[in-house]
Amino acid sequence: MSSIPGLGLVKGMALTLRRFFQPPLTIKYPEVDPDIAVKYRGRLQLLYDEHGTLKCETCFQCAQACPIECIDMGGTDTKGRYAVHWGAAETYGERRVESALRRAGREVPDAPFAAFEPADLDAVDAILESHDHDPHRMLSILEAVQDEFGHLPVAALKRISHRTGAWYAMIYGTASYYRHLRFERTVEEVAVCRCTACLMAGGGRLAEAIGAGLRTELGRPTPDGRIRFAWLSTHPPGAAAPLVALDGEAQLEVTAANATAWAQALAGEHPASRTVH
Amino acid sequence: MTTILATPAGRPRPILGDAAATVPTDLDAAVAAGAFGALRSVVGDLGPTGTVATIAASGLRGRGGAGYPAGTKWRAVTGAADPVRYVVANGYEADPAQSTNRILMEARPFAVVEGIAIAALAVGAREAVIAVRAEYSDAVRALEVAVFAAEEAGFLGTDVLGSGRDVAVTIRTVQGAYMLGEETVLLAALEGRRGQPEQRPPYPTERGLFGHPTLVHNVATLATVPWIVRNGVDAFRAIGDPDAPGTVLVGVSGAVASPGIAEVPTGTTLRELIDLAGGVAAGRTFKAALVGGPSGGFLPAELLDTPYSFDALRATGAHVGSGGLMIADDRACIVDLARLLVRYGADEACGKTIPCRIGLRRLAEIGQRYADGTARPTDPKLLADLADDCAASALCDHERLAPSPLRTAMRYFGPEIDDHILRGVCPAGVCSPIRVAGATTGR
Repeated sequence: MSSIPGLGLVKGMALTLRRFFQPPLTIKYPEVDPDIAVKYRGRLQLLYDEHGTLKCETCFQCAQACPIECIDMGGTDTKGRYAVHWGAAETYGERRVESALRRAGREVPDAPFAAFEPADLDAVDAILESHDHDPHRMLSILEAVQDEFGHLPVAALKRISHRTGAWYAMIYGTASYYRHLRFERTVEEVAVCRCTACLMAGGGRLAEAIGAGLRTELGRPTPDGRIRFAWLSTHPPGAAAPLVALDGEAQLEVTAANATAWAQALAGEHPASRTVH
Repeated sequence: MTTILATPAGRPRPILGDAAATVPTDLDAAVAAGAFGALRSVVGDLGPTGTVATIAASGLRGRGGAGYPAGTKWRAVTGAADPVRYVVANGYEADPAQSTNRILMEARPFAVVEGIAIAALAVGAREAVIAVRAEYSDAVRALEVAVFAAEEAGFLGTDVLGSGRDVAVTIRTVQGAYMLGEETVLLAALEGRRGQPEQRPPYPTERGLFGHPTLVHNVATLATVPWIVRNGVDAFRAIGDPDAPGTVLVGVSGAVASPGIAEVPTGTTLRELIDLAGGVAAGRTFKAALVGGPSGGFLPAELLDTPYSFDALRATGAHVGSGGLMIADDRACIVDLARLLVRYGADEACGKTIPCRIGLRRLAEIGQRYADGTARPTDPKLLADLADDCAASALCDHERLAPSPLRTAMRYFGPEIDDHILRGVCPAGVCSPIRVAGATTGR
């Protein structure tokens, strides 16, 4: 409660006036990546139905994509059937290119869209065959696909969805949940242990120093997508604490003092390929 | 290598037995030592009803950390209308620093397998699953050999010991998330779904694996079952705390002379546990005991006489949890550790409940501000409120307990937090807090 009548009003108007003269904050996507939360589960896809009409209403995509499944959506489509549809992988890309040509007069490259490139689906089919196309065995299907490709191509996930009948959103949700499954084609992996023993031996500060050197944070790849910065789910028996591993090999010489420099050297061997305007 | 700490002579070890004595996967030696004797009596005179009654009378409580009475679970599954039932043994040790379950599965695979067979026969399940961490390749191999040998000998598979009942045991490896240690999350992973807990009720005993009644137990609980059947209820009730009889596996680590795993009766004090591990390491000073793994609580020296049992530990703000007892010495900063542990809990949160997904992140930020010395006057209340909200809305124990490190740090190590905030000093020299004059008011 203010002592002078009307002070609150003046304060509020002052804030409005200040904001009024502040420059707008614009992130120049895709040249600059927006800051996205770690648990972000990907973009929505715009869907076409079987007549080729863009379904912008009652498409259920919010229900499909919701990571916490809090949206429960059922309904009938234009033919009166109770169903949930999802569109082709390319839908988003087509619309995006159209839109870019119209608005910018040129195509704008989109790095995340590269994940939609084709994959050898015969290998995926063989894996599905050996798992009886059983959605209950989704984890071992996904693990086998990752062993085959080194990562999980989105095309393969789409194939699994079409062949097993499991919703794509559910498969994507499963694949993005488990830390050993990955979509990025990283070359190297820096892993730190976050167990209580390692934390007590200074592992927390060490991980922060390495993250600073790699210019990323735990659970995310480096800006050039080459190195994955992960954490181990279990402390290997007999391993030193705090534990830092490069591609599974313990790096005993890395200490809190030299960690940032070590990570910078690791990340700097191949300068970032992406240009920032 | 993790060592098994010697327990004083004369104390029974229902879970680990004399683990080191034989080759763990040698069936003949195990049978000679009494393995599968309990299964014989279950098939013979005890019968399914008698077995469930025995387990209920023994007062056995789940060793997975929550301490839920096993008999209640067994009765619930037995009483379910659905004839298709499952038994799931949880061998996914979520705490990355712990190896009690790994050691148990490697050293006593037949005890685990026998416990599963007894549970399956008692509750009427034809299929049982042992879910093991994929990184535990030695434990997986030991269990595979044990299951195969037991099937060959007729202890598992079709027509178990001529009873006309089938018990098929499969071993499944799971990996990739801390949350998999929680029972409904583990069931989701076994069904190929993303690992998020379910609203309870219905409990897994009503609707579990693939929608059927499921008995989920930690491997240590199941490994205790044959001992109870073999030695009787009275012998079991004579061990440890009367409210939660039996023994527990505790991994003692940190600043102790000889870290390792101890099997102790429930109710053993924390001080005795530290003594079993050779006491605090030479030249170090005891500062705090982290009881319960990453979501555990920090207890000061005054509370070292707390008995290690489910209810007594809960009252202090710590909990049995993963069965870890980590000793922090004076070189450790409790504020820094608490912040890192809550941060870990936030990073491993599955994202299903909003207070967990967002609240734990805010809690980690409060911890960060404490460590940096930039705490706000509202922080203590915000921390308490957020932690309460997490506990009130929790779908699972991760959310309920993940704020524990910060809460117990506030409760027992307040002066250390004050040093960070008010004086800009980290007594252990780990953090480098800045002194913000006039902006902060302490805890």
